[in-house]
Amino acid sequence: MKPLFDQDHYEVLETRRDAAPDDIERSYRMALATYAEDSLAGYSVFSEGDTSAIRERIEVAYRVLMDEESRRAYDDSIGFGASDDLLEASFDAVMSGDSPPVSQLLNIEEPKRELESIAAFEDVDDGSGDFDGARLRRFRLRCGMELEDISRITKINNSYLSAIEEERFADLPSKVYVRGFVTAFASTLGLDTKAVVTSYMKLHDESQESHRKSRFF
Amino acid sequence: MISNEHGDTTENFEPPVSDQPGGARLIPIGGGKGGVGKSFVVANLAAALARAGYRVVAVDGDLEGANLHTCLGVPKPKTSLADFVAHREDDLQKLVLPTPITNLQLIAATDGNLASPQPSHSRRVRLTRELRKLSADFVLLDLGAGTHSAVMDYFMIGHDGVVVIAPEPTSVENAYAFIRAAFYRRLRLAMVSHDVRKIVTTAMDQRNERGIRTPLHLLKEIQSLDSAEGTRFVATMQAFRPRIIINDVRTAEDVKLGFSIRSVCHKYFGIEADYLGYVNHEDKARLSLRARRPIVDLYPRSDAAIYLSRIAHKLSATSSVVATGVRPAEPNTAPPPQAQSPRAPSPESAPNFRSQRPNPGPRS
Repeated sequence: MKPLFDQDHYEVLETRRDAAPDDIERSYRMALATYAEDSLAGYSVFSEGDTSAIRERIEVAYRVLMDEESRRAYDDSIGFGASDDLLEASFDAVMSGDSPPVSQLLNIEEPKRELESIAAFEDVDDGSGDFDGARLRRFRLRCGMELEDISRITKINNSYLSAIEEERFADLPSKVYVRGFVTAFASTLGLDTKAVVTSYMKLHDESQESHRKSRFF
Repeated sequence: MISNEHGDTTENFEPPVSDQPGGARLIPIGGGKGGVGKSFVVANLAAALARAGYRVVAVDGDLEGANLHTCLGVPKPKTSLADFVAHREDDLQKLVLPTPITNLQLIAATDGNLASPQPSHSRRVRLTRELRKLSADFVLLDLGAGTHSAVMDYFMIGHDGVVVIAPEPTSVENAYAFIRAAFYRRLRLAMVSHDVRKIVTTAMDQRNERGIRTPLHLLKEIQSLDSAEGTRFVATMQAFRPRIIINDVRTAEDVKLGFSIRSVCHKYFGIEADYLGYVNHEDKARLSLRARRPIVDLYPRSDAAIYLSRIAHKLSATSSVVATGVRPAEPNTAPPPQAQSPRAPSPESAPNFRSQRPNPGPRS
């Protein structure tokens, strides 16, 4: 464990060293939310001074890493590219001055910190089956997006989006609109729009069909 | 040493063993707060593992609030852990009961002695030893609420116990208290020198006069006293990997909570927690409880069942345990008679979790 002020910018943001700007941005937002004053995850552990210090540290890391030039200079200064051993060495220098790495002393493997993101839950989907409302919701949660976020991006009314997820077809406008909504929804989630629309509209049509029949009798 | 001046009894507990060659893999599941769906999660993870062909024993460790048997559709168990606690039975294996689900057995916790429900220290030591000897691939231990020393001792039987959290402030707060208690107890157990142990004991009091507020403070104190103990401290930190499940998720914010808690554990405790997964809020969960059947068994196609099966899959994928149970015929269309409620819907077809089971490789 390293004190916060000995952590490098990547560790502070809990992101990979080869993270793309997009990833850094996401990690930064995640970190800000985690260490916000009223954060559900943090408020019972940290005192007010703690979180503001952490937030300051996060801001510095973000500023340095988001600028291509300053990031390169920073990478050079911490010897990024040399090897992970160097990191470990500095870790132990912090811990005990000049003793050999703890991992060598104890002959244990340093646990590799898995820097997974929300996408790590990708495997909740096995890639088969219909794209029904529940599956769309699973993908949305996996992307860490609320319906409001989708609504803001797609400009589709929140109530239509929730009707799509809950398959309340009666609450949706005519078919051509639904098709458009589902396309936009799927594309926001980074899904194959064609596959999603084909699958979802089949559900939609079947339901409408049975609805018509029941009315007829 | 049987117990120290604080009545703490972990000192002569066996060190946690998370993977014993040949033995059952023990997974303690706690959470600090009651009502977060711990028993629901335990029952379903157990059922999901059983459906995947593992032989599983689910153990209700909550002697003062037993209900795991109900989640699994076992009516009024005649024997339970209480018989072991009261010295009526010494062989834990004899308390194992069948459940309606293939490969899944239960040790209930019903009918405890109201006067003294918790086992004595020596009984607790014996219990952890007996749990390891159970004939099974996985033993899932459902812990009671709170951070009572008995609960924490059970949580220590594995390195990677599971903490179930609901996305609400009370649950999150108690979960940290739980992780903190587990961490400090483990730490004190790992320290050899009497003086260092005393410092750890001091630090366990949040308002200690030495002003040790965080594990990092504590580490610095210990290092300045004894560098070998400092090394052990770091090793203990690295070995301790609690796993988090967020239950009853409704929004993407709730999903992210797991990542945030993991981050706080890292930055505050220096502990690497694993975010095992989340289980969504599910209306059918109530129906499955009412039908007294795990949701992975009753509604395997429901959202919650898919998430729970996924978590079970992760648990089995990170262990070297080999399935030795009978693979139930697919689909599982023989509902147990005693578990049927008049309005229980027919079971849906089985999920594809089974086909995803990996080759059990060595645990890394």
